[in-house]
Amino acid sequence: MTGKRAPLNLPARFSTLAPMHRHSPSRRRFLKDTLFGVAILASAKLLPSSLLVAQKQAGQSAALLFFSDAEYRIVNAAAARFIGTAADRLVDNNSIDVGLRADRFLSTADDEIKEQFHLLLSVFNSAIFAFLFDFRFSSFVGMSGEHQDSYLEDWMTSHLGFRRTAFQALKRLSMSMYYTDSRSWDALGYQPVTVPEGVR
Amino acid sequence: MIIKGRERTSPIRESADVCIIGSGCGGGASAKILAEAGKRVIVLEEGGYYTSQDFDSTEQTAYSQLYQLRAGQATDDLGVTVLQGRCVGGSSTVNWTTSLRTPEFVLRTWETEFGTEGLSPADLEPYFTRIERYLNIHTEPEAHHSPNNRIILDGARKLGYRAGANGRNTKDCIRAGACGLGCPYGAKQSVDVTYIPDAVAAGATVFADCRAEKIEVAGRRKRVTGDVLDPETRHPRTSFTIEAPVVIVAGSSINSPVLLLKSGLANSSGQVGKNLTFHLTSAVLGFFDREIYPAGGIPQSVMCDEFLNKKGDGGGFWIESVPVYPALTGLSLPGFGPAHHAMMRQFHTLGASIVLVKEIDSAGSVTVNDHGRAVVSYDLGRRDREYLRQGLAVAAAIHLAAGAKKAMTLHTQRTEFTDPSMVDRVLADAHFGMNDLTLFSAHPLGTCRMGRDPRRSVVDSHCQAHDVKGLFVIDGSVTPTSLGVNPQVTILAIAEKNAEWIASNFSSLTS
Repeated sequence: MTGKRAPLNLPARFSTLAPMHRHSPSRRRFLKDTLFGVAILASAKLLPSSLLVAQKQAGQSAALLFFSDAEYRIVNAAAARFIGTAADRLVDNNSIDVGLRADRFLSTADDEIKEQFHLLLSVFNSAIFAFLFDFRFSSFVGMSGEHQDSYLEDWMTSHLGFRRTAFQALKRLSMSMYYTDSRSWDALGYQPVTVPEGVR
Repeated sequence: MIIKGRERTSPIRESADVCIIGSGCGGGASAKILAEAGKRVIVLEEGGYYTSQDFDSTEQTAYSQLYQLRAGQATDDLGVTVLQGRCVGGSSTVNWTTSLRTPEFVLRTWETEFGTEGLSPADLEPYFTRIERYLNIHTEPEAHHSPNNRIILDGARKLGYRAGANGRNTKDCIRAGACGLGCPYGAKQSVDVTYIPDAVAAGATVFADCRAEKIEVAGRRKRVTGDVLDPETRHPRTSFTIEAPVVIVAGSSINSPVLLLKSGLANSSGQVGKNLTFHLTSAVLGFFDREIYPAGGIPQSVMCDEFLNKKGDGGGFWIESVPVYPALTGLSLPGFGPAHHAMMRQFHTLGASIVLVKEIDSAGSVTVNDHGRAVVSYDLGRRDREYLRQGLAVAAAIHLAAGAKKAMTLHTQRTEFTDPSMVDRVLADAHFGMNDLTLFSAHPLGTCRMGRDPRRSVVDSHCQAHDVKGLFVIDGSVTPTSLGVNPQVTILAIAEKNAEWIASNFSSLTS
C-alpha cells in the first residue's frame, strides 16, 4: 500500500472551512487555531450538557480520579479498537484496564491538559459532531465495532489538523497504558532486563 | 552532597559562588570544573535523583521517573515527540550512549557564520580527548554488535555505503540493552555517575526535585527562586531561594529559554526560544524471518554516516540503530487494531533503524504559554523534508539488503516495501506533514544560540549572556546550528571549556 491519503470523508460544505495548509494547530489550544476548530469549540460550550455524553456526571464512580464514568467508557471503547484485542484477544481485555490506568496517569497532569482532554473526549464522542464530521448518527460508544474502526480511520486521516492531533492523543494514551503493563508482554515475547542478585 | 525533595519540608535559602540550573551534560560538567576550581557550587535539578539500584528496566518506571513529562513531551500539534531526560544526569542518564565529536564542518560554520571564537576543531581537540578518556569512550568490536545493529552494518556494506562503529561511553558493559531506561548495572558513564559525583566530592551541593521558576538580577547579585517538588506527585512542597553572583542556566533547549523568557532576561535580540533544531528523527522497520530481538544487546553501536553533508550544503542525514521497547513501539507503529497487534506480535523478528536529519531550513521555537509552560512549535522545511524522504529510502534499502522480507516507514497510512525498486516511487507519493508519520527528537538544540553579534544571538562564545554579566547558558541550546550527530560530547566540551573560563575570570565577573 502506498502512503496516499484516503479520500476526504467530510461533507463538502465543510471543506471550505478546513485549513489549507498541512500544519496542525496547537495541542494546548487544541481547537482554537482553525476556523473550523473555533466553531466546534464555541458550539461545544454552548450545547446543553445533556447532549455531550462525556460531561461530568454527578454519579461518578469513586474509583475514578479524573474521568467521569462516561469518559472512562469512551476511553476503554477506543482503547479496545486501538489495541485490537477484540479480534485477537492475546490478553483478556478486562485484565488490563486501559481506562483506569489512563485515569491515574491523567489525574496528575497539569490543569490545562486535563481541561483539553475533557473537551477532546466530548467532541470525539459527540453524536452531533459525528454527524457534522462524517454524517454518522451515533456517538462513538454507541457505534458497532466496525463503525468505530471506520470513525477512527476518519480521524486518523482527516485533513483537519486537530482531528489528526486528537487521534494521536487517544492512540498514544491507549498504547502507552496498555504496553507498559507487564501482562501485555508475554504475547510479544518481551522481558525487561533483570539484574541477578549480587551483581550490583 | 545530593539532597532529594522528600528530605526538605522547610524553605531552602542558600548562597553560593555559582548556581547551576540543570544537572545534565552542560550543568554537570560545569559543576565539576567549578567545584574543583574551589568555587562554592549549588546545582538545582528539577528531576529526581536515582541510581542504578532504582532502575528496573521497565518503560513505566523509566518514563515516569527519568523523562520530561513522562516521555510525553511533544510539539504543540503532537507531531514530534521530544524525548529528554529529567533527572540528575539529565538526558545522559537515558541516552543510548552514542558519543561523537562535533563534525569539523559544523564548527567551521559556527566560526564563519556566527563569529564564534575558541571553538575551532583545534581549540576543542584537547577537550574532546579529555572527555573521551574520562568517560571511557570507545568503539565496540564487531562481535559485540547486536543483530539490530548488524542490519545497518551488513545492509550498508552490501549497498556500498560507509558504515562503522560509533563511540560509546560505557565501562564493563554487559550489553543488556536497557541504556534508554537507566543503566541498571551502572556501566554507562553518564553524568550522574561521573561528573556529578566528582563535583560533589569537590564540595558541590546538588538539590534534586527543585524547579527553578525565576532568575532576578540586581546589580552583580542574582537570585534564583522556585519550588521544591514532591518526588511522587511533582507538586510543590516548599520553596527555595539561591543567591549567587554567577548563574549558569543549563536546563536544555526547551527549559532554558522558558526560564529566561519568564525571567525577562537576556532577550534584547529577541532570539531566546528561536532557532530550535531537532535533529529530526523517524524510523524504518524491517520484518525479518530470523531472530532480531531489538530490545536486547547494545542499543546503538553502529552508524551509517555516508550522507551527512555529502552535498556540502550543511545538511543531510545519518542512520543509527534504535532499541525497541513495547510502549514506544505500540505508539510508533502505523495504524491500529488487529493489523497493528499483528505487527506487535512480530516483536522478536523486528529490526529498527532511525534516520536523523541535520536541518538546514526547518524552523522551530519555544515560547511560554499563560500557564508558564513550554510551547514547542516546529515547521519542517522543504529541503529537510527531502533529506528525510531520502534517508527513509536509504534505510529501507539497507533493511532489504540485510535480508528483511519487508521494510516499513512509520507513516500513518502504511507505507511498506518488499523490493528496493519500490522504495523511491512509494515514498515520492507519501505525505510528510505533521502527524502524517511518527517523528521524534532526542536532540533539541539551538534556542539560546551563541554568536558574536548581540542582535543575532543570546550568548557570546563563553556562553555568557550578551545582556547580563555573570549570567551564562551552558547546554545544547547554545549551539548555533544543528550538529548532525548525537550532541552529548559537544555539550560536554563547550561546558568544560567555558566553566574553565568562568573559574579563571571569576573575580572580574563578580566585581
